[in-house]
Amino acid sequence: MSELTFDRLGKSYGDHAVVQDVSLRIAEGEFVSLLGPSGCGKTTILRMVAGLVEPSGGRILIGADDVTHLPPNRRGLGLVFQSYALFPHLTVFENVAFGLRRRKVTGEELSRRVNEALAMVRLGSFGTRYPRQLSGGQQQRVAIARAIAPRPRVLLFDEPLSNLDAQLREEMQIELKRLQRSLGITTLFVTHDQGEALSMSDRVGVMARGVMQQLATPEDIYHRPQTAFVAGFIGKPNRFPGRVAARAGAGGRLDLGGGLSLAAARVDQAEGAAVSVIIRQEAIGIAPGPAAAGQLAGTIALRAFTGARVQYVIRLAGGLELVAEAASRGPLAALEAGTPVSLAIAPEAVFSLPAEDAGA
Amino acid sequence: MIARRHALALIAPLALVLTGFFLVPVLMLLPTSFGEYIPGSGLAKGVWTLENYLRIVADDYYREVIWRTLGLGLSVTLACLLLGYPLAYLIARGPDHWRVPLILLVVFPMMLNLVVRSFGWIALLTNRGLVNNLLMQLGLIAQPLKLMFNLTGLMIGLTHIYLPFMVLMLVAAIRNVPRDVEAAAATLGSSRMHVFAAVTLPLSAPGILAGSILVFVLTISALVTPRMLGGPTYKVMATLIYDEYMQLLDWPSGSALSFALTLMAVSIIWASSRLTRRWAGMA
Repeated sequence: MSELTFDRLGKSYGDHAVVQDVSLRIAEGEFVSLLGPSGCGKTTILRMVAGLVEPSGGRILIGADDVTHLPPNRRGLGLVFQSYALFPHLTVFENVAFGLRRRKVTGEELSRRVNEALAMVRLGSFGTRYPRQLSGGQQQRVAIARAIAPRPRVLLFDEPLSNLDAQLREEMQIELKRLQRSLGITTLFVTHDQGEALSMSDRVGVMARGVMQQLATPEDIYHRPQTAFVAGFIGKPNRFPGRVAARAGAGGRLDLGGGLSLAAARVDQAEGAAVSVIIRQEAIGIAPGPAAAGQLAGTIALRAFTGARVQYVIRLAGGLELVAEAASRGPLAALEAGTPVSLAIAPEAVFSLPAEDAGA
Repeated sequence: MIARRHALALIAPLALVLTGFFLVPVLMLLPTSFGEYIPGSGLAKGVWTLENYLRIVADDYYREVIWRTLGLGLSVTLACLLLGYPLAYLIARGPDHWRVPLILLVVFPMMLNLVVRSFGWIALLTNRGLVNNLLMQLGLIAQPLKLMFNLTGLMIGLTHIYLPFMVLMLVAAIRNVPRDVEAAAATLGSSRMHVFAAVTLPLSAPGILAGSILVFVLTISALVTPRMLGGPTYKVMATLIYDEYMQLLDWPSGSALSFALTLMAVSIIWASSRLTRRWAGMA
């Protein structure tokens, strides 16, 4: 158990930089996620930490040890793969014992520690089975037990829950977080699923095109995105082309065309600049009935029931359509198509992105 | 899964051809193998005997040929495995742009006729062949080495001919070993050598077994190369059978030997497929 530090870590293949100058320090026992779309360099960082990819520049430190050029077997890490990567020819017990045997743990202590690790992932009675006899969720739990059994200094997770179905995934998120807390092992978790990153981590690092965009607590990432990319990547955004109509302090008004304009709490672009306007679906308040002065008016165009939430496609004056959400029980649960509604949009949930970033 | 009805339809054409042109003729030899051969007049009518089979077990000469055949099969298989695995590993795991040229290189000899290749080896291996001449001119040896009409010659020729089969089987097997599983072993503390011994090798075992069975069975039933490189005196089962039929005209004995060879091949395939199932069941 140690802190994990990257110092200007970089990786490029030829001219193509996959990871650029990423520096970060993960405190002892901290859970940090790297979040980003595929190809953003997050997995490359993880593989560099594990020693499976050689960095082109920068340093990796575990505690005070510079491990940048050590082979993977001498780094003392635990790695959990998306593909589980269990040893198919070994029993569950031998899978978990693998790392301990490499550390010359034998006899009674070996079986005690293997069984301890298996008990932690609630697979105590599965020692004699082979991986192929287990379900996907059970296999991933064996992989976790295998990684924690040798008491690694740092735990690495490479999209470990992506192959599991939705229900099991949420169960495993909670289980994994509890396990990490009780063991207190420094953890780096890589994922493309923002729900996973936000719910499990102490801090989240959002990455795009090899660059760390923002490293902050989940609350800050969600409510106070620092870059346009983060604002557009987190949450469920509506996107519209627009223009900065006016600036006032840090914020301003964004013009959406068709006579529509919205207040935004933060606008980084100059007045008159073409921007992409992001409105979080979950931050739009719907009220049935015609709009009062200063509110947006629209009509329900489509309703989609998704379980806990209902999604509405709302047509605004001027023909723009946006998606808004409401609870699936209560007064807003069953608005018919054609119902006039008024929308309240908090300025904190409106972001302006440079127009060229809109596709990211 | 394919329905049983469709599976039967898919297998039917091959099954018909094999039954008509292989299984039935072979079974027609079965009565012959229990017949009695009278020199000069052929098959004795209405006489049934186990003599032909008993002789295979009892006769010193036949026993020697059988052991020699099995030994040859085993050594050629081992040689192919030892030479083939590193090459297969390189093809499977080496730089991408090496793969196609290397595979072509492996397959290339197979485009040359077997007889031509065996003649090539004769030119290289005879007493006054390229290898012996070179070694003598370099002063490394005074007398020519005996490289033909013995185990050495057969091993060299057959290993060369069956190496491609082994390599192709191994490449497929090694490529099937997931890189993540090897990486997992490395992060758990395995050195490169240990990753190979503990993960790569056991996970490619089904391919090793399949390749070995293939090479072994091909070797013990090979006729042309042993005939050419073994000459008239150094015989293996296939050449012995050929001579029994074509030169001694002793069909009963030839048939009995054929069945003995088939039985050996089938039982080896059976035993090793049981082994594979036990190993590969876990993979």
